[in-house]
Order: sequence, then C-alpha cells, then structure tokens
Amino acid sequence: MGIASIPGLVLYCLVKLGLNVGGIILASLSVLTLCWIGWEAINLVKNLKEFGSELDGDSETHFHVARGSFLERLAGKMNVYVKKQDQCKRQMQEQLETLNIQVQLSQRQARNTEAIIQSIHDAVIVTDSFNRVVVANQRASELFSFDLSNSQYKEVSELLGVEKVAAMIMTAISSKTHHRRNELEIEVAGETKYFNSIFSSITDGTGEIVGVVSVFHDISREKEVSQMKNEFVSHVSHELKTPLASITAYAEMLVDGEAQDDETKEQFLSIIQNQAQRLNRLIEDILSVSRIESGLVKVKKENASVALLIRDSFEMIKSFAADKNITVTQPSSVVYDQVRVDKDMISQVIINLLSNAVKYTQPGGDVRIEAEVLEDVISVKVIDSGVGIPAADIDRVFDKFYRVIANNKVAKGTGLGLNLVRQIVEKVHSGRVFVESVEGHGSTFGFELPLCNNKETVATNQ
Amino acid sequence: MEKILVVDDEIHIVQVVAIKLRNGGYDVITADNGQSAYNLAVAECPDAIITDLQMPGMSGLEMVEKLRENESTANVPVIMLTARGFAIEQEETQSLSIVACLSKPFSPREVLGTLKKALEPIPV
Repeated sequence: MGIASIPGLVLYCLVKLGLNVGGIILASLSVLTLCWIGWEAINLVKNLKEFGSELDGDSETHFHVARGSFLERLAGKMNVYVKKQDQCKRQMQEQLETLNIQVQLSQRQARNTEAIIQSIHDAVIVTDSFNRVVVANQRASELFSFDLSNSQYKEVSELLGVEKVAAMIMTAISSKTHHRRNELEIEVAGETKYFNSIFSSITDGTGEIVGVVSVFHDISREKEVSQMKNEFVSHVSHELKTPLASITAYAEMLVDGEAQDDETKEQFLSIIQNQAQRLNRLIEDILSVSRIESGLVKVKKENASVALLIRDSFEMIKSFAADKNITVTQPSSVVYDQVRVDKDMISQVIINLLSNAVKYTQPGGDVRIEAEVLEDVISVKVIDSGVGIPAADIDRVFDKFYRVIANNKVAKGTGLGLNLVRQIVEKVHSGRVFVESVEGHGSTFGFELPLCNNKETVATNQ
Repeated sequence: MEKILVVDDEIHIVQVVAIKLRNGGYDVITADNGQSAYNLAVAECPDAIITDLQMPGMSGLEMVEKLRENESTANVPVIMLTARGFAIEQEETQSLSIVACLSKPFSPREVLGTLKKALEPIPV
C-alpha cells in the first residue's frame, strides 16, 4: 500500500466509523422513540383508567396528559366534554331535588286541602267533568249515606242515595253556569232537613269547566226560627188587634151616638180604657223580652217580701178569675223571708203564672199559689186544675214563641209570657223556673229565688 | 124582625156588634164559641151570622163548614170578622158562601152596612 492509500485508508476508516456511530445513534433514537411512545401509551391508558374510575365518582374528572404530547388535544377535548357532562349532571341533580321538594309540597297541599274539606261542617262533594266524585267529606257521607273510603271516582248518580242531589250536581256541570243555588229538602233519619246548596264550577286555565264543588249548608234551625218568628208575628198581630178592635169599635159607637144613656156611655168609655191598658201590657211584654234579651233592661233590685208581692199579684188577677168562675187561693202560710229582687219584674212573673193558670183552666176549676222556704231559696208554685201540657211539649214551654198546639184552641197567647218569666227569674235574678204537668189533670208552674243573706239585709236596712 | 147570630170569644166585641145591630132594628142572639154558636144556629135558624174566625175550640170556619152540611142552615149568609187579614183563601170563602170578610179592627157601621146588603132580597 502506498502513501496515497493512507488518506484513503483514513477516509475509509472514518467512513466506517461514521457508519457505525450513525447506526448506533439511529438505533438509540429508535429505542428512545419507542420508549417515549410506550411511556405516553402507558400514561394514556393510566389516564383513561383513572378517568373511567373517576367517572363513577361525584368529583369533577380531569384528563391529564403530558404537555406537548400528541394526545394533549384529544385530552383537552375530552376534558371539555367531561366538564359539560358534569354541568349537565349537576343541573339534573338540582332539577331532581327541586322536583322532589315540589312533590312533597304537593303532597302536603293535598293533605291540607283534604283536611280543610274534612273539617268543613257543611257537606262538601267535589266532582270531575265526568260526574265522578274526586273528594267528599265525612259530613257528606253521613248526609247522603255513602261509604267515604270507597267513594273516590264513583259516579255521583250511583253513589248518592238522594236522586235529586245527584241530578243537581250533573245539571251544574252541563249547564256551564259558574254558580247555582238551590234550597233543598231532604229526609235525614226520618226527619225533614233543609239545606242551602251551592254548586260552583271549577275551571282550568282555558276557562273549560272541569268539575263542580257542591256545598250543602244545613238551614233547618234557621227555618225553624223563621217559622217561629212568622207565627209570632201572626200571634202578636192577632193579640194586638183584639183590644184595638174594641177600642175603635166603641169609639165609633160613641161618635155615632149609639150609647143612648149616660150609663152606657160610661160603660163604653170604661171598655176603651181597659182595652187600651191591655194593649199597653202586651206591648210592654214584647218590649220586656226584647230588652232583657239584649241586656238593655234597667234592673232596680231591692229587698222585698215575696208574701207581699204574691198578695198584690193575687189582687190584680182576682177579677179575671172571677169572670171565668175560677177560685184562686192564696198561700196557706205566710213566708216572712226576703229576697233581693226587682219588685215590678217579680210581680210580673207571678201575674203571668197566675193569669196563665186561669186561662188554661176550665170554668169551675181552681188555682192556688204556694210559697215555701227550702234551705237557701224561696220556692213559689202556681198550681191549677187546668188542661195540662202534653209530655212532648213540656220541655219547650218556656221557649220564646213556643205554643202548645194541643192547647192553642183553649186560650190565645203570644208565646211570650212564660219566656218572659224564665228571662226574669233566671237571667236577671239567677233563680230557676220549673214545671210539672199531667195532661188533662192540671199543671204546676213555679220558680225559686235565692234568699237574701243577713249581711246584705242589714247593710240595706242601714 | 130579622134574627142575627153574633159569635166572638171576646165579650166586648159581641156586645158592641149586638148593640149596633139592635139599634139598627135587628133581633140579636149571641154565643162566645163555635160549638155553642152551631147549636144555637141549628136551633134558632138565624137570618144571618156574624162570626169571629179564630176562637178557642171550634173555629169560625169549622163552624160554617158544619152549618153548610145542615139543611136548615145550609144557605144562611155569614159575615166573618178576622184579625188575620189573609187567613182565609178566596176559594174557601166562595165555597162556603161567606158573603164578606171584615178585618179587625172593624167599623160597627161597616158591619151593619154589610149585613143590610147581605139580607137584601136578590132581584129576580
């Protein structure tokens, strides 16, 4: 080999060496690349695994990839997607919670509405547009005799025993009127009851009628009171007109010169005077009941002897009893004890009881008045041999306007006298009234008043 | 002299009507309840009856109903006195041939006038 070949050899060696180093570098680069790819793949799998496991949890999931890796964009997009999903999930959870609260509120409202409907004293039935019962209360089930627990979605026509009521409810929905009122008469347990019924339409948002609320308010008591008042007005007008008729007729007779002598004239004038007094007494009775009831009466209480009050009342009733040929006897023994009373009022009580006894006793009968002291009260009784009171009426004879129908024809009255007695004795004097009677054999009406205690008597006397 | 029966449980009313009619030239008989008035009417056959409507025992209306069943009193004219303006239906007064219903308070003059009219012979 020549010198010329030495550079060639060097070059050759360099080239070979270069080739070998390049190969080594290339191989190393390949290995590093593979390692890097493997590392990234492992990270990706790891992240995917974590992502998968974190998706099951509640916390926000974030997909981690090394910065600058080729998966960074993918991971970024996935993170955005996951974030959106998280937001959706939270919104849905919030909505679910809101719905749960609303359901609970609705259930509570339904229970409240049911409780309100049940607590209404009137009978209430709510029906839908197909005339099926949606809600009804206990009062309705009692009134119309149906099983409340088994009433929902039953047709009113088959549920309610009272045909006309079912018909009214059905008419209310078909007529498309918002309110209908009817007065209803229904037999309840063999008794006629009166109801004010109101049928109100239920409308939806579009104004369509979707049901009816039917309310039945019992007005039987009001009817009874109204009837009693009507009868009272009728009785009172009759009672007022009777003395008035005498007054006007006798006055006209005097004007027309029909009284032919002074004696007759005097008689006519006397009748006019008496009838005017009778009229006045009647008006006073009506006003007294009204004043005592409204608490407007002026009471002047003082110590008084019941014996004296009885004697004065007896004197006043004597001529009326004599006209009917009825014997009236005073108490067999005199009671000296005193009571603290309004003398005019207690006199009125005794006169009312005595005049009633005379009115309801046939001519030839007898009436007696008794008084006795029982512990701390004084008891006064008026006993007659009159027509008596049927057992069915006895509890109500002291009621205002109440008249015993069976005795209506025996004597006239306003139904106020005994009520006045009770009001004066019980309301004004804290006493007690009582009655005993056997139909056809007479009655005993009486009252008890508390006796004056000694201290009070001394104080008053001073 | 025409005989008139006056019935009322109120003694002063019977008296005032009786005096007015007697002064007007009538013969008057009286009763204070429906039952004795019926008995008297059947026994005495009055030419007319003036009666109260509401009386203890038999009412004026019940008495007239009974009188209409009796041959001798079937056509006797009746004038009713009532303190209850609308207590008698018009149909009822017609069916019982009640010639007039006068409400209380009444005028004795009017009672006499109504009676005279009721007793006037019907022109043939």
